[in-house]
Amino acid sequence: MIWLTWRQFRAQALTVLVLLAAAAIVFLVTGLRMHHSYAADLAACAPLHACDGATPAARALGAQIYQLQRSYEPMFMLLQLLVIAVPALIGIFWGAPLIGRELETGTHQLAWNQTVTRTRWLAVKLAVVGVAAIATTAIFSWLLTWWAGPLDQLKGDRWAAMTFASRDIVPLGYAAFAFALGTTLGLLLRRTLPAMAITLAVFVAIQILVPALVRPHLLPSTTTTFPINQASTSQFHGFSGSQTEFHFDLPTPQGAWLTSQPPVQNSSGQVVRIEDYSGCFPGLDGGGQGDDPDLGQIGACLAKDNLHQTVTYHPASHYWPLQWMETGIFLVLAGALAGTCFWWIRRRQN
Amino acid sequence: MSAILQAHALGKRYGQRQALADCTLEIPPGHVVGLVGPNGAGKTTLLKIACGMLAPTTGRIEVLGEQPNGATAQLARVGYVAQDTPTYASLSVADHLKFGAKMNPGWDAKLAQARVEQLGLNPKQKAGKLSGGQRAQLALTVAVAKRPELLILDEPVASLDPLARRDFLRYLMESVAEHDTSVILSSHLVSDLERVCDYLVVLVSSRVQLAGETDDLLAQHHRIVCTRRQESDLPEGLQVISAEHTDRQSTFVVRSERALPAGDWSAEHLELEDLVLTYMERPVVHGAATAMQPTGEAR
Repeated sequence: MIWLTWRQFRAQALTVLVLLAAAAIVFLVTGLRMHHSYAADLAACAPLHACDGATPAARALGAQIYQLQRSYEPMFMLLQLLVIAVPALIGIFWGAPLIGRELETGTHQLAWNQTVTRTRWLAVKLAVVGVAAIATTAIFSWLLTWWAGPLDQLKGDRWAAMTFASRDIVPLGYAAFAFALGTTLGLLLRRTLPAMAITLAVFVAIQILVPALVRPHLLPSTTTTFPINQASTSQFHGFSGSQTEFHFDLPTPQGAWLTSQPPVQNSSGQVVRIEDYSGCFPGLDGGGQGDDPDLGQIGACLAKDNLHQTVTYHPASHYWPLQWMETGIFLVLAGALAGTCFWWIRRRQN
Repeated sequence: MSAILQAHALGKRYGQRQALADCTLEIPPGHVVGLVGPNGAGKTTLLKIACGMLAPTTGRIEVLGEQPNGATAQLARVGYVAQDTPTYASLSVADHLKFGAKMNPGWDAKLAQARVEQLGLNPKQKAGKLSGGQRAQLALTVAVAKRPELLILDEPVASLDPLARRDFLRYLMESVAEHDTSVILSSHLVSDLERVCDYLVVLVSSRVQLAGETDDLLAQHHRIVCTRRQESDLPEGLQVISAEHTDRQSTFVVRSERALPAGDWSAEHLELEDLVLTYMERPVVHGAATAMQPTGEAR
């Protein structure tokens, strides 16, 4: 049975192996070069104790590092997209045809009438190709996590939707899920092509919905309320406003995932407008973004009105728990889909 | 030895569609059985239930004395070649033999090898590149080399040209005779089965219209042509299967367990094909009063 699964899977496996090898070469060649220049730049500014740009020399180095980051940005986006696409491709090209093709061409009738129960037939297929799916994705994820290490460090944003979904262990959960999804759809629809299309659609929908609606709520987030006065606003990082609202960029702990930063409100919880306090915003006619305004002064001016602003975030320490939880959720979903396959195949309706 | 197949009030429903309804049938052991019926009679459904591919919605079925349940013990005893003889298009002939060997503990590698050589199949050829006849032969080889006690073939020759059809049936008969395998094969054409079957089942709208050993059936049925008369004017003991009347004469197809009594008519035996067509044309009697009894034991 393992022989049959391998024999049927061989062509697809080799295709992916070739792609994997090509991708690995790209990752290694560009990655080694980038890691090298990154390390060199850092090493250069370390003796100055001023990688943050305190001296002109360090500022030049900072610009150099920024240049490095910019020059690898297209590559960064591309490879990140690739790693997110790997589970989708696995679901489409490994999952959907796994049983769908057999049902489509009638060969399941050949397979199911040998001296092997169909439960075992399915179990071996799922196990062999499923493990290959997870292993392949693990390699891609590991390659990207290594490759993008310096860039992630520079950007300091490993919470971005695509970044989180393409690093560390989350891609493994997605791979298992996409594979099980493709397989189940192939089995239920009995057709490969529609199963492929729906697998892709569902996977894309999940990539959009999970970061927006699910991921922020897996763990309780922290909400901090800041009063608006001179002492607080002078610590804020920025300010922006529009016709209907305005808000400050509030300080959050290092490496936190800022999930929500609603506009400034008054004590009764209503959103306030710039034009209500036009006296406090010199040079701003009720809109636009201040050109480096003096935040302390604005805060002092607004202090008497008892305004406040909140910020909601996940601390950096939530990164790994959220990685594990999201992976776990999709592994459980994959298991449920596999269970559906077993249940369906045992009903003997095909 | 238990019956090849024993079905009682067997039914299968797909949602709204009733593919097989209230099918009752018993086939005694040691036969090559032809299952004949028009398209949509339920032949494929019956055979799929028999090999365990489908679970019936109602009724009971036993094949070789066991319920087909998809367990390995029963899978090993029953071989099945599905309609259109599916094979793995991307696997070579040799791969198919390896597939059979890996999937069946009772695999007869020598037999399989010999058959492939005899058929002149190139072991390296991909099954997708074989002709319809060769593919059917390959599927048959895989089913036969598994050494089942019962071989079920669903319209195996339907898509083959006459020459391939003849070769296929000849190889089937050779291997069956050699290993004493029982066979059920279905077709909507009697002519396909005439030369190979010694037992015939006619299935029309899920109903068994006729079942029995071919020789007995041929011996028991006559076409009699006589002056115009009513069915009731025929002697006792003749069962009228069909009646046609012109202005002056009547033609009956009758069945008689005993020798046909002499009368003022001309009588002749029917060809198997005519016999089956007569039963196929007959209106299906639903309910208890199914006219025909299996006559395998009636001798």
